[in-house]
Amino acid sequence: MSWPRVRRAFRLLVAPDRIRDDIDAELRFHIEGRIDDLMARGLSRAEAEREVNARFGNIDVYMEETRAIDERTIHEERRMELLDTISRETRQALRALARSRGFTFIAILTLALGIGATTAVYTLLDRVVLNPLPYPHAERLVKIGSLVSGKTVAGEWGVSEAGYFYYLEHNRSFDALGVFTRNEVSMVADGRAERVRMARVSASVSRVLGAHAALGRLINADDDRPGVAPVVVLSHAYWISRFGGDPAIIGRPVTIEGFPMEVVGVLAPDENVPLVSAAPAPELWLPLGLDPAARPINSHYLTAVGLLKGGVSIDAASADLARLTARFPEVLAEAYSPAFMRDYHFAAKLTQLREAVVGESARTLWMLLGAVALVLVIACANVANLFLVRIETKRREMAVRTALGADRVHLAWHYLTESTLLALVAGTLAVALAWGAIHILVAMAPTSIPRLAEINLGGSSVAFAFVVSLGTGVVFGLLPLGSRAVSVSTLHDGSRGTAVSRGRRAIRGALVVAQVALAVVLLAAGGVMLRSFERLRAVHPGFDANGVIALDLSLPHARYGDYRSTSELYRQLQGRISSLPGVESVGATTSLPLEGGGHCATTFAEGDATPTPGAAQCIRYVYVTPGYFGTMGIALRGAAPDWSAVSGEHAGAVISGSVANRFWADRSALDGGISGGDGETFFRVAGVTGDVRIDDLREPNPEVVYYPIVPAKGTALWGPADAITMVVRVKSSDPLAIVPAIRRTLVRIDPTIPIANPRAMSDVVAKSMARLSFTMVLLGVAGAMALVLSAVGLYGVISYIVGERRGEIGVRMALGARASEVGGMVMLQSVRLAAIGVAIGLVCAAAATRVLRSLLFEVSPTDPLTLVAVAVFLVLLAALASYAPARRAARVDPIEVLRA
Amino acid sequence: MPTPDLPIVRGTLDLLILKTLSWGEMHGLAIVRWLEQVTHQQLQVEEGALYPALHRMEGKGWLESVWGYTEQNRQAKFYRLTAAGRRQLAAELSRWKSYTSAVELVITAEAGSAR
Repeated sequence: MSWPRVRRAFRLLVAPDRIRDDIDAELRFHIEGRIDDLMARGLSRAEAEREVNARFGNIDVYMEETRAIDERTIHEERRMELLDTISRETRQALRALARSRGFTFIAILTLALGIGATTAVYTLLDRVVLNPLPYPHAERLVKIGSLVSGKTVAGEWGVSEAGYFYYLEHNRSFDALGVFTRNEVSMVADGRAERVRMARVSASVSRVLGAHAALGRLINADDDRPGVAPVVVLSHAYWISRFGGDPAIIGRPVTIEGFPMEVVGVLAPDENVPLVSAAPAPELWLPLGLDPAARPINSHYLTAVGLLKGGVSIDAASADLARLTARFPEVLAEAYSPAFMRDYHFAAKLTQLREAVVGESARTLWMLLGAVALVLVIACANVANLFLVRIETKRREMAVRTALGADRVHLAWHYLTESTLLALVAGTLAVALAWGAIHILVAMAPTSIPRLAEINLGGSSVAFAFVVSLGTGVVFGLLPLGSRAVSVSTLHDGSRGTAVSRGRRAIRGALVVAQVALAVVLLAAGGVMLRSFERLRAVHPGFDANGVIALDLSLPHARYGDYRSTSELYRQLQGRISSLPGVESVGATTSLPLEGGGHCATTFAEGDATPTPGAAQCIRYVYVTPGYFGTMGIALRGAAPDWSAVSGEHAGAVISGSVANRFWADRSALDGGISGGDGETFFRVAGVTGDVRIDDLREPNPEVVYYPIVPAKGTALWGPADAITMVVRVKSSDPLAIVPAIRRTLVRIDPTIPIANPRAMSDVVAKSMARLSFTMVLLGVAGAMALVLSAVGLYGVISYIVGERRGEIGVRMALGARASEVGGMVMLQSVRLAAIGVAIGLVCAAAATRVLRSLLFEVSPTDPLTLVAVAVFLVLLAALASYAPARRAARVDPIEVLRA
Repeated sequence: MPTPDLPIVRGTLDLLILKTLSWGEMHGLAIVRWLEQVTHQQLQVEEGALYPALHRMEGKGWLESVWGYTEQNRQAKFYRLTAAGRRQLAAELSRWKSYTSAVELVITAEAGSAR
């Protein structure tokens, strides 16, 4: 008997049919043999068969049982075989990777950088954009506003009280509607005053947003009536930070704007409500207490939010509200004249809450994800090149394996194990890198990106990193299968097959060209951002930020309800602060440059024909105290009123140059009359400012009227300035150091007034550029990574080509080519590859930088200077990257090469 | 032919097969014939039960099998013990011996001897 000398495992690896046939034959042999035995003892065939069947038992049952046993055995063997293969290949791959440390190190580092950067930006995106709203039914939440576009105004307003009630009663699209306003107020609790963010909400806001109380209750319908209940609900974060999470908070008395109130509840932790803009969540909720029966007024100060009914689309709801809005002139005739509706193109405007909160940040972050994804692609191209080199060097090893019987599947296993191991190590490193990167990103990100503080590297980011690394691992592992099949003939073939390497060289050339092209795109994007940033930095904001600090005050309304008390306080405060050592001057305003805010009023110049309603311009008005313009270093024609003019109630107004132009054009505005609101009583124009940027550094010559904090006799203002920002100019390199002294001064005058937000004006300027600088820095980092990776890629390919062409170079030199010519030839080759990449990249960049348009400032997305600079830079880089290989080529010794 | 009258004790079929194969390689039918011969046809075994047992023991690595030809030149599947099978046989034998001697002690003990 010949027993095969093979492991059982292989013998058992057979198809199910084979198993059945095998068992069948075995059992049949048994039965036939048995019948023969019995017939030999003299039984007839029929008797023998009966006897055998009886002794054998149920043949079908035994056969089935045997088959099941065999199948189980085979299954088990296969599993063992697979585990065996994996562990063997893993051990082998680890040994191989450990042997070629350079390859392993560079491949892992390159991949980890690419994956790490992508993971970091993905984490931001995941947290901020993909899942930004902590509410149930976030997809059904909408913000409702009013869209206006008249001759003189355009933009989005809120809704009016009457409009809200009309929508509330007649809409068919919403499960719930709510309105609120936001404000900053001063609150005193436990004898300590503080300025806090407050929202006055209708009771229905909790229903719309699905908010819950962690403690006590929320604002209810009983609170939310005209003559509102003096109750307040705290945000969870504020409860923790201000009251240390004191569980006995319910029923605690607090004073808000001088009025006594009672804490009745605390919001649940994750409800940073209402978050309908990117602004930070309010810390207090108070009842709004609107009166449905009040006379309709054309004032759109309310922010409205709605919860769509299930299955109602935002378009359907828009149509629904448009239908209702069209009826305003008829049902709310006192507030909405047909002329108003026509002149302003007044219309309801619905926005997904998600879009309202993160729309702007989403675009920036998606763009940045695109940028880092490009870096990852460039990194992958480098690693692909490394793998191609490795395949090359392993050709002999593979040929030996093939000769020993390894088939394509085994080779695939080999490569896959190696590349997957590599990618997983890179992925782990990438998670660590991303963790570090996120902390840096969060520290420098603009505050307009919502919910950044809560960001951390979560499970989804780690999953993302590993999916990306596994994906790249598999792609690189399959790379060799795409290249020419390894054949045994390689074994006889001592030299390299030139036909094969020509194909390889083309692939590697293409990879480098792609890298350079992508690097051009990233650098061009970074370049135009940098140029925008420079332009923006060069903008003169209209004031001198150096040495100036700002801090917010808000006066309790109960004690400071009139012009006299507020102005007396400011005057006293300014006097005391001015006398502090190191302080040069002090002023105050209701609206700080670059922070925007404030309100606008219909404004008229004296002597002009009263314009028709709707054609009049709503111009921003700001209150300032004497000393403001001097402290801010704002250039002024004429003179701002001083304290004696203010207290004597004969102070004039100061207007911006643009307002002077609008009303007086070529005449002098000084001593003209200007009126906000009624158009009947006029402030004298005392001064005209230069171009002070109010909302944004980008917008030149905004229109502003600066009124004194006390109206001149015979004129009217909109009430005393009880919330104001003080500005203080200090002779010090660290202007904020004066803040404690200012606090002490204020406490001596009135301890119930809180000071909030002390900040240096230079930080205000920096913050206004934060989104631009954030994007610029990230694109810059992406561009720099792209640059380094492309340089490494070029160097690698040129080195490879030089190595491969040593023979040819030797022959050339033997035939009289000079070393400098050979070196030049090599560098030219590199420059040629780069030039192709640059050409392709410029075309792509022209298309890609368009997405940056909204971020750019006075720079075209296809800024020629930037594009040319990037192109020249990359070509020079290509020459530089090929310098070392070129020198190696020039040093080739023809004799040595020809002898070999 | 005398009727077999001793039903096989559960779990002893493995031992019987291993012991039988320790004399040399055999196909299933030969194993049955051998058992009949040495026990003078006293053991009653459903012959079909042999095959699941053989295949199970092969799966455990105690046996290995190969198709070959009998003296009558017919194709049959032959089994033989592996090294693991020999170790298993030794283990089962010693367990069987200690089992039977224990049973023996019980059934031959005289009343009151425990006192």
